[in-house]
Formats: sequence, structure tokens, C-alpha cells
Amino acid sequence: MASRRRMLLKVIILGDSGVGKTSLMNQYVNRKFSNQYKATIGADFLTKEVQFEDRLYTLQIWDTAGQERFQSLGVAFYRGADCCVLVYDVNVMKSFENLNNWREEFLLQASPSDPENFPFIVLGNKVDIDGGNSRVISEKKAKAWCASKGNIPYFETSAKEGFNVEAAFQCIARNALKNEPEEELYLPDTIDVSGGQQQRSTGCEC
Amino acid sequence: MIETDINDLSDDADYAAASRQQGPASFNRSDSGRRSSSGETEGAEVVYLKDNVTIHPTQYAADWISGRLKLIKQAGSLFMTWIPYKGQNSNARLTEKDKNLYTIRAVPFSDIKSIRRHNPPIGWQYIIVVLSSGLAFPPLYFYNGGVKEFLATVKQHAFLVRSADDANVFVVNDFQDPLQKTLSSLELPRAVSVANSPSSSVALSESPSSGNQEMTEGGAFNGSAASVRQNGTPRQKHNDPARDLHMQVLEKFSLVTRFARETTSQLFRESQMDGFLASERRRYDQPLVEHQSLVEHPESPDSNGSPKTPVPADPLEFDKMSLVWGKPRQPRLGLEEWSNFLDSEGRVMDANALKKRIFYGGVEHNLRRELWPFLLEYHPYDSTFAEREYLVAIKKLEYETLKKQWQSISHAQARRFTKFRERKGLIDKDVVRTDRSLSFYDGDDNPNVHLLRDILLTYSFYNFDLGYCQGMSDLLSPILFVMKDESESFWCFVSLMERLGPNFSRDQSGMHSQLFALSKLVEILDSPLHNYFQQNECINYFFCFRWILIQFKREFDFDRTMLLWEVLWTRYLSEHLHLYFCVAILKRYRNKIIGEQMDFDTLLKFINELSGQIDLNPTLRDAEALCICAGENGAACIPPGTPPSLPIEDASVYPQLEDDIL
Ligand SMILES: Nc1nc2c(ncn2[C@@H]2O[C@H](COP(=O)(O)OP(=O)(O)OP(=O)(O)O)[C@@H](O)[C@H]2O)c(=O)[nH]1
Ligand SMILES: [Mg+2]
Repeated sequence: MASRRRMLLKVIILGDSGVGKTSLMNQYVNRKFSNQYKATIGADFLTKEVQFEDRLYTLQIWDTAGQERFQSLGVAFYRGADCCVLVYDVNVMKSFENLNNWREEFLLQASPSDPENFPFIVLGNKVDIDGGNSRVISEKKAKAWCASKGNIPYFETSAKEGFNVEAAFQCIARNALKNEPEEELYLPDTIDVSGGQQQRSTGCEC
Repeated sequence: MIETDINDLSDDADYAAASRQQGPASFNRSDSGRRSSSGETEGAEVVYLKDNVTIHPTQYAADWISGRLKLIKQAGSLFMTWIPYKGQNSNARLTEKDKNLYTIRAVPFSDIKSIRRHNPPIGWQYIIVVLSSGLAFPPLYFYNGGVKEFLATVKQHAFLVRSADDANVFVVNDFQDPLQKTLSSLELPRAVSVANSPSSSVALSESPSSGNQEMTEGGAFNGSAASVRQNGTPRQKHNDPARDLHMQVLEKFSLVTRFARETTSQLFRESQMDGFLASERRRYDQPLVEHQSLVEHPESPDSNGSPKTPVPADPLEFDKMSLVWGKPRQPRLGLEEWSNFLDSEGRVMDANALKKRIFYGGVEHNLRRELWPFLLEYHPYDSTFAEREYLVAIKKLEYETLKKQWQSISHAQARRFTKFRERKGLIDKDVVRTDRSLSFYDGDDNPNVHLLRDILLTYSFYNFDLGYCQGMSDLLSPILFVMKDESESFWCFVSLMERLGPNFSRDQSGMHSQLFALSKLVEILDSPLHNYFQQNECINYFFCFRWILIQFKREFDFDRTMLLWEVLWTRYLSEHLHLYFCVAILKRYRNKIIGEQMDFDTLLKFINELSGQIDLNPTLRDAEALCICAGENGAACIPPGTPPSLPIEDASVYPQLEDDIL
């Protein structure tokens, strides 16, 4: 790799308790699913190296507790985020209805410089359950909501079966990268490849 | 500044004399005359050896263990060992276990912060070795003299600087440690300038009297005298080192802490040294709440073995002495001893003694079922067997009634009862994520998991305002595991929630007040660490959130969690021992945290990954010592009503927010 110091991309996963945030993160980073994960208390993060166009980035994925009562902690963790992932459970109506609360809570607490264009991504998780028969939110409905919020990219996933998880996080990483302020690309130790990065403005086509 | 004058050992006439005599041959001067492996190039070389170096584990001069002190050089590093003699070189009351407990096995000097020398006018010379972690070994008494040679030898092989604060404190600097290195380089100019002015040595040479101590006590920059006064006990008894120990230990820590504080502040002050120096210094010299001395030594497994310290005649005196170190942990309370606490009708005769006993040793597992209801104040200590039996029966009926409240909700009703459905859904999701690796809770359709669910749901009706919150299943799980019975588990859980309920309040005020109290405690018990957190945006202490919310449940395995909980539940010493326990953990890793310049993210990750790595018993001892040494100043850091303080009989403890459904 040309650059010695890798750029950090910070991603926050939000959503109601039990929608599968911890499971998604572990499926993506460790490629495994366990039904022995504990309910998240406080916050934790995992990191993963990702590569785009010959450059390595460190994706730092933050997993926080879903219960509303713990949201006042958020401000400490949301700061400096490059992308926010909103997760709901396609089998639980309330978790979908809460997406907007999560989104607003995030914008409030993280106060990104350009809230209008801050990259969000929505994941509808647990599509594996009951072969999809217990779904209460259709893909169409979810996509309509995403469209209404400024064309948020949408993925249907199963953390349990690993379905679509890699693709979703690829998109997450690309969007996070897009959000990085340009001057970051000119860090002294990464300057050797920054020229090539200039064209990387199209983001992900997802 | 006058303190620069006493910054180097070369100004010490005694030291200088000893130093001149140092050389390979001088080791034959030590009374043992045994110097091993002098010419060997590989392996360890003993560079100093002293016999009859003795510790007094209690304040009684009659309790002593003698041993051999050595300095060993290996691969460029200097190590210290102190090994007790086998056989009769201690009094009969002390066992081999005691010896084992106090043995110092090859401590590298990179782990040593400072050495304090004591030359009482009457009695033996002794030193106290303080580790960089802030812990200290018990005083080592040199029955045959030799402190000077000891220090001189250390000076030869490691970087030793006399503290600016006290001529009897020698600070070890380790060049391998990046932070220390920086500190040393900051100190060096002063040391050099002193070396260039040898004239100062005369004034500060050590006299055989206590003149040196008096001189420093009268000095302008002396924090130790202030801290002694702060602790309310004027120091007067130079002639009784054992009784004086408590004070000197406190005093020593004040010095060490102050030294660390000053050097750390220098680090952060960076280039703008000039104008600040005087005012900074004055600020750091205000009376300090000083604290703490902790012993770090090998612990034998806590589950077996006999008491490590013999019970002395006067328990009060014993406390005064040994608490400074944090008492050795005792074996768990067993059936026979427990039955001795009860009168013929089953009342606990001395609840305080029982709490104290459990505080120091915990409870054997098969007794927990009987004892936890007392510790949680579900059963009154003065109740009889019969009264308890009656209470259990009554409470069982009461529980059944409560449980029926939600059991009788029909499908049709549930469909119109969103709050109930959601609460139940949350609990359902959490019980299957609670201690599933334990056979008691593993597998599909495990009846104990159903019990967890039923109890939590019943509780959320019993305390509808508080409802259910994540973390509660973690708190219930060990209780059910111990109590087995559904109703008994429920009522024990209710009692526990009387204390910990505020951890889960909607506005998180219970958690915030504990994190605040924690920050205050760190501020008085380790102000450099506190400053570090402040400067690195870690001052919210959120990285300790999980520790406090569920009482370290995720930090230890199940058995250790149960032991820790019963110790905390005794409320012996403090209702807030858990906060001192937090400080104890942080202090154990302070050098790593500061040395590696952890930022908020790194620190959070580091703390999360400590799970399973924390040594329970030594940390409990540290917490105990910190609690005692912080004393009233510590208690004053904790605002009244901070959980888990006494239950507040106020219905509005958990204000309901309109828009919050669960
Ligand atoms: N069938 C199925 N189950 C899943 C899936 N993802 C998660 N789960 C299960 O759903 C439950 C909750 O998953 P977690 O990953 O712990 O949920 P979370 O969002 O992190 O929850 P909190 O930490 O409480 O905020 C667990 O029992 C998981 O095993 C999925 O894709 N399919
Ligand atoms: Mg989680």
C-alpha cells in the first residue's frame, strides 16, 4: 500500500433494540453469526480494513444500545461520524416507525456540518425469518420512505444468513468516504495517492 | 527555586560515601558476603544481597517475617526480590501462606515508581517501595542496616533521582517507558544543574537525627505535612515505625502523587513554562487529599485455604494497621461458621460482623441461597427461622397475584395494549441474550429462560413506571441462578432494584450522578489521571458506563460476579464501594492509559476489552484501601442520593415521560 497511515471512516449503527445491529456488525467484520450475542450495554466498535481503488481505509463501526433510555449517551459516540446506518426489523412495525426518530436524534446529537447531505443508509434486517412470511413492512414501503428522505440507499439483509451484508457495508463505506472532507485527502502521509482520489466523487451507485 | 538543590543523590554525603565505595568489590561489604555469579556473562547477576530484611505484616512487632533482599541484573534490567526464609524465621502465628503472600518475586525496576527511605532515630531503618501502579509493598526493615548500599546499588543500575519534595524519596525513572522517558528528560536539566553545584551537598547531608524530615516539613513546597494535617493526625511518633506506618504511607503517597502531578503538568504545559511555573506550583501545593497504599502480591486462589492473617487480640488496632494495605482476602464463609452467626431461633446476632465477614471473603456458593436475601435486605437480619418461613409464604402469594396481572391479559386485550406488547417483546428479546453460554440458561425452550421472562415481566408490572430496561436481565440472571425459586428470585430482585433502579431511570440521572461521583473520586485519588481524562475529552467517564449499570456483570465470569456482588451488597465500609472499585481498576491501568496516550475511542475499546482480564481479589483490596484512604473526602465526592444509596420512598422517583412508551 502506498499510504502509511490509513484514513479512518467512522460509521454509526442505530436502530431499535433487537433489530440486529450487533449481529450485522459481527457478520460483516467477522463473517459469523451467533445467537449468544448479549444485548449491547453502552457502546463498542469494531474496525475493518477496506480497500477502494488501491487505497486502504479503516472502517470504524460503532454499535450502540438500542434502548431509548440510553440515547443520552449518544452524543459522545456520534461525533465525527462519516455515515449513519439505520436498521429496522422487517418483522416489527415499530422498529420501522422509529427510523425517523433515530435519524433526527442522530442529526441533533452529531450535528454534522451539512445535515441535508449527510449520508444515511437503511437496512431492513431479518428477512430470513419465516421465509419472509412474517414481514410487516414491504420492500416497497421501505423504499418509499427512503426516497422521501433524500434517496437514502436501502438494503434488505439477514445477519443470520449473511445475506446482502457485504454489499450493504460496501455501500456504507463508499458513502462514508464521500463524506470525508476533501482536505483529509491531503494528509502529508497520504499525499502520494491523493491525486487519484479526486475523481472519487461519484459515490456508490446503490 | 530551592528544591532544585536537593534533586540529586550526589548532594547526600552518606550516599556519596556509599557510592564511592561501590564497585564490584564492595559487595563483599554486605554482611552476608555472598555474591553469586560475579563473573558470569549470561543469566542473572546478583548485584546486591542482604539478609535479615524483615516485614511486619501487622503492627505487632511480634509478627514478623524475615527474608533475603536481592537486586538482580539480567539482560540489562534490574530486578528486586525478597524471599522469606523457610523454617522458623518468623513467629509461629504466621504461616507459610503468609510468607507466600508477601514474597516479592522479581519485580523489574521499570515497574517501580519510587523508594522511600526511613531512618527513625530509634529502631530499624526501613524502606517502602512504591510501584508505578501506585501500589506499595509493606515496609522492608533492614535489621542489619544497609539501606544506603541498597540505594547506591540501585543508582548504579537504574536511573534514580531524589525527589524534589522530600530528601528521603528516590524516584526511579525507566527509560523504556515513553512517558517516563519524557518525564526524565524534563527532570534532567535540574539534576544536571545540581551536579554542577556540589556546594549544596553540605547543607543537605543527612544527619543521624530526624533533622532531615523536619527540614522538609518546614519547607515551602512540602505537601506531605499538609496532607498529614488534612488527615487529622499530627505525626509525632518517629520512634514507633509500626504504629506510624499509616501516616507515613499516606504521606508517601502524597509525595508520589504530587511528583506525578507536577511532572504531568509539565508535560502538558509544553513550551509555555515560564510565567506559569510559580502559580502552577502554588496551585499544586494546596493541601491534598492523599491516600492510599496498596500492596500488590501474589494471591492464592480465594476459594480454598485458611485465613491469611491470624486474628489478633484487638480487632480495632488490627484494622487500623492492615486496612491501609487492603486486607488479605479471606476464604469464603462456610456453613459451620455461618451457623455460629445465628442464635437458636435463627436470628443473626451480629449483623455487622456478618457483613464484615462477607465483605472480606464472600460466601460459599451453597450458602448464597440463604444469605443473599439478608444482604439484599429482603429478609431482616433479626428475623427468626419461623418468621422467614412465614414471609416466604406470604410473598409467594403476593407474587402469584402480581404475575396474574399480566398472565390474564388475553390476546384480544394485548392487541389493544401496545405498551404491554412492546415491553414483553423487549424482555423476550433480552432473556434469550442473557448468559446463554451457561448451561443453566442454554438451549432452546429452556425453562429458566422462561422464568427470567416471567419475573421481569412481573417486575415491570410491579414497578410499572420504571418498567423494563436493558441490563435488568443481567442483574436478575445470577439471582435466579442462586435462588432457583421464582417468587424468591423476584423479591430478591425487587430488593436489588430498590438500590439499582435509578441506574435505569429514563433521564439516566442515576447513571450520570454515579459517573460524576466517579470523576470526583478519581480527581482526589489520582489527579494526574483525572487531568489526563479532562485533556483528552474522556471526562464524561462513559467508558465506565457498563461497569456501573450492571455492577461489573460483563467484566467477570459468573462465579466472580456473584462474589463481587455479595461483597458490594454488604455495604460494609461504603455504599459506593463499586465506585472505588472503578477507581482501583483505572489506577491499575493508569500508566498504560496515559503512557499510550489513549483517546476516547481507544480508551473505550481498551476498557471493553478488559472484560475477563480484571483480577478480582487484588482489585477489591485496592478498592478497600482507596475507600479507607479517601475517607470523608471521598464520601464528600458522592452527592447524597447517588445510587445505590438507601431506597427513596417516593412514588415520583421514576418520572414518566409522555412520549416514551416503554
Ligand atoms: N433470524 C434472524 N435473527 C437475527 C438476525 N439478526 C439478529 N437476529 C437475532 O435478533 C436478536 C437481536 O440481535 P442483536 O444483534 O443483538 O440486536 P441489536 O440491534 O444489537 O440489539 P441491542 O443491542 O439490544 O440494541 C438476537 O437474538 C439475534 O440472534 C437475522 O438476520 N435473522
Ligand atoms: Mg447490540
